[in-house]
Amino acid sequence: MIENYLNGLSMISDWGVLLAIAAGTLLGVVIGALPGLTSAMAVALLLPLTFGMPAVMGVGMLLGVLCGAGAGGAIPSILLNIPGSPASVATSLDGFPMARNGEAGRALGIAIVASFVGGIVSAILLSMLAPPIAEFALRFGPAEYFALSVFGLVIIASVASQSMIKGLIAGLLGLFAATVGMDPITGVARFTFGELSLLTGISLLPALIGLFAVSQLIKDAIDYANVGSRHDAPIDALQIRTARPRWRDTFSHWRALLSGVGVGSVIGPVPGAGASIASLISYDQAKRWSKTPERFGSGNPEGVVATESSNNAMIGGSLIPTLALGVPGEAATAVLLGGLLIQGITPGPALFADPSGTIYGIFLAYLVANIFMLLVMWLGIRYFVRILAVPRKLLLATVTTFCFIGVYGVAGDIFDIWLMLGFGVLGYFLNRYGFGTAPLVLGLILGPIAEANLRRGLLIFEGDWSPFLTRPISATFLCLAILLLTLTLWQNLRSRA
Amino acid sequence: MIDVARLRRLLLLALLGCASPALAYPDRNLDIIVPFSAGGGNDVFIRALQPALERELGTHLVVRNLAGGGGAVGLTHVARLPADGYTLAVVSDGLLTQVAMGNVDFVPEDFDFVAKILEEPYLLAVSRDSPYPDLATMIEDARGGKRIKIGVSGVGSSAYLTAGAIGDALGIDPILIPFDGGTETVSAVMGGHIDAVVLGGAELRSALSSQRVRALATSYPERSASLPEVATFIEQGIDYQTSVFRGLAAPKGLEDSHRARLVEALQRATEDAGFHTTIGHLGTDLAPLYGEELDEFVLTLAERMNQQAEQLTQ
Repeated sequence: MIENYLNGLSMISDWGVLLAIAAGTLLGVVIGALPGLTSAMAVALLLPLTFGMPAVMGVGMLLGVLCGAGAGGAIPSILLNIPGSPASVATSLDGFPMARNGEAGRALGIAIVASFVGGIVSAILLSMLAPPIAEFALRFGPAEYFALSVFGLVIIASVASQSMIKGLIAGLLGLFAATVGMDPITGVARFTFGELSLLTGISLLPALIGLFAVSQLIKDAIDYANVGSRHDAPIDALQIRTARPRWRDTFSHWRALLSGVGVGSVIGPVPGAGASIASLISYDQAKRWSKTPERFGSGNPEGVVATESSNNAMIGGSLIPTLALGVPGEAATAVLLGGLLIQGITPGPALFADPSGTIYGIFLAYLVANIFMLLVMWLGIRYFVRILAVPRKLLLATVTTFCFIGVYGVAGDIFDIWLMLGFGVLGYFLNRYGFGTAPLVLGLILGPIAEANLRRGLLIFEGDWSPFLTRPISATFLCLAILLLTLTLWQNLRSRA
Repeated sequence: MIDVARLRRLLLLALLGCASPALAYPDRNLDIIVPFSAGGGNDVFIRALQPALERELGTHLVVRNLAGGGGAVGLTHVARLPADGYTLAVVSDGLLTQVAMGNVDFVPEDFDFVAKILEEPYLLAVSRDSPYPDLATMIEDARGGKRIKIGVSGVGSSAYLTAGAIGDALGIDPILIPFDGGTETVSAVMGGHIDAVVLGGAELRSALSSQRVRALATSYPERSASLPEVATFIEQGIDYQTSVFRGLAAPKGLEDSHRARLVEALQRATEDAGFHTTIGHLGTDLAPLYGEELDEFVLTLAERMNQQAEQLTQ
């Protein structure tokens, strides 16, 4: 065992390899911080570069991108209320209010430490327990996916910030939007109105960028027009000086940290569950276990700890089935799998027993990528905070540009730009009238998973509903969903009384 | 990062360009449209071929991913472009499937097919824990009244139509379960949620070599060098053969001289050792086809897809 790791260590103790991982991580942080540019895209673009590299070097660079992007997404979420990547959607819920209260440096400091802890724990889990966890993830069939998505949908009730009924309306809007496109089982086109781009449904990235980034940009632009340049809050020197990683602060919120790492590690290995729901679920869990749940949404550091630790734990988690079975957990790892195959690395149990020990090199490369991520963020944090000192009008213009580039860049489809703008306007009004955008996103992401798996399950069970209730994992999730729903409704009633 | 060799080549070309007034095709960059997002099978294929093809053509390839509508958006775009020889699309049998399913406005005749480069087989595969050691036992069980659940990637996809056709050829009536993509389908069969899958060889490659999944039959007419232990349907007494193909096409009306130049460059580029290594790792086979033979191949395949789609939508 130790020999394997020493062997792996010798693979990565090479300036070229370390440099490639560091470059990947730096690029990942930048990509993660720019709204619209995703790690899946960055990995795909770097893929041809890795063709000529040794295996551990090429894969290490790609892992660096994943790892950096997981942490970088927090920067604009906290500073601008614009998530840099889909996985950091929930970070802005408490991160931005913290920045508003003059605690931008603290929020970033906490996010860095939480990301690092999430990443390291997931690296350790990955290297020690990958094969058994991957076996467990295989037990997720249609019934289990359906139950998991029902469990996720129940969260709508608790992320609905102000009023339950408005949250449910937004959630249903999301579920409705999710029905657009080809029916997943029979292939009939629904609500596409002859638009080819809608055949595969509403693309998630343009919708997310629209709902979270464009809606905020519209709000900022309107505020700016009303208040003018006086809106530029001067950033004091103290904020910059106190911007540093907050170790003790982060660990003092151990409940949130534990729930973030736990949820990320559990959701990550389940293929297709999605990065963005991992952070929303862990936010919800942290709120439930917290001693001060009422402070969530108004700048509670626990919210930042939970989401940032979970989205980095999720990355290691999603590598588990990728490496142990060749089944990627989400979009970015799917592209990474392509990179592995081109390198001649075939995922599966054989990889773990392979005498060349490449897998141990990959584990260590991922660990090193997490350390580089900490360094990049540590060195960068003071500069990140200064973003707040940039005149608002310049910032708005720059971020808008990146939204357009990013959304167009993924598919090169101009329709996605209109989709982004449409969802931007929708998001602006949803926020303005207190409906919130998080419930809509949950509906949009989980709707297709729930629908397709319910119908797939009924096909497989030949029309019999009972397996949904009798299969153990499925039954557990459904019971949890009922429990959470009752709890939420009860708390709601009591707080009103 | 600056590619010095490439820069030097470009300078040299620029100098040559000044010397000779009438430059042969191609005298500028070629646009290559991939109708899927980066990282997919068509994308990896062209990016692996890119360095060698750029060398042979003496120009740059600008690869653009124009995804959306499961390939429909990119192909519709290319079909409407002028046939000046400077835009090519990476195509696969998915093009023919979309036409057959009636979701798009273009037809195969809107394209001039330049080359078929790669092929991979469709495999009928089961989990390593499956009760079916071979194809015969599965057929026997199915004819005894059990409905085999076969997972495929995507509804109305090529794999979907192929799985239906395989069911017909085997004389059984399977339940086809469409999943969102290849990986979801593979994990469902590994986890024992479905009985079998019909997928392309590349998508099953890692699962096969880790021995989590066993292939019962390949759709190739003969056993392939990359999967020598998998028997063909024909060998097992089932009259069925087909394959997934990937290649290049231009908008209709490509000049013959341009086509000849492209074919010549492709023939040489596909001999590149680096390209061979990459496609070997990916589980695909080099199976080049050009000219009239290719047109005939496409026509036959299109007809079969149409028939299968018709049966399906009845």
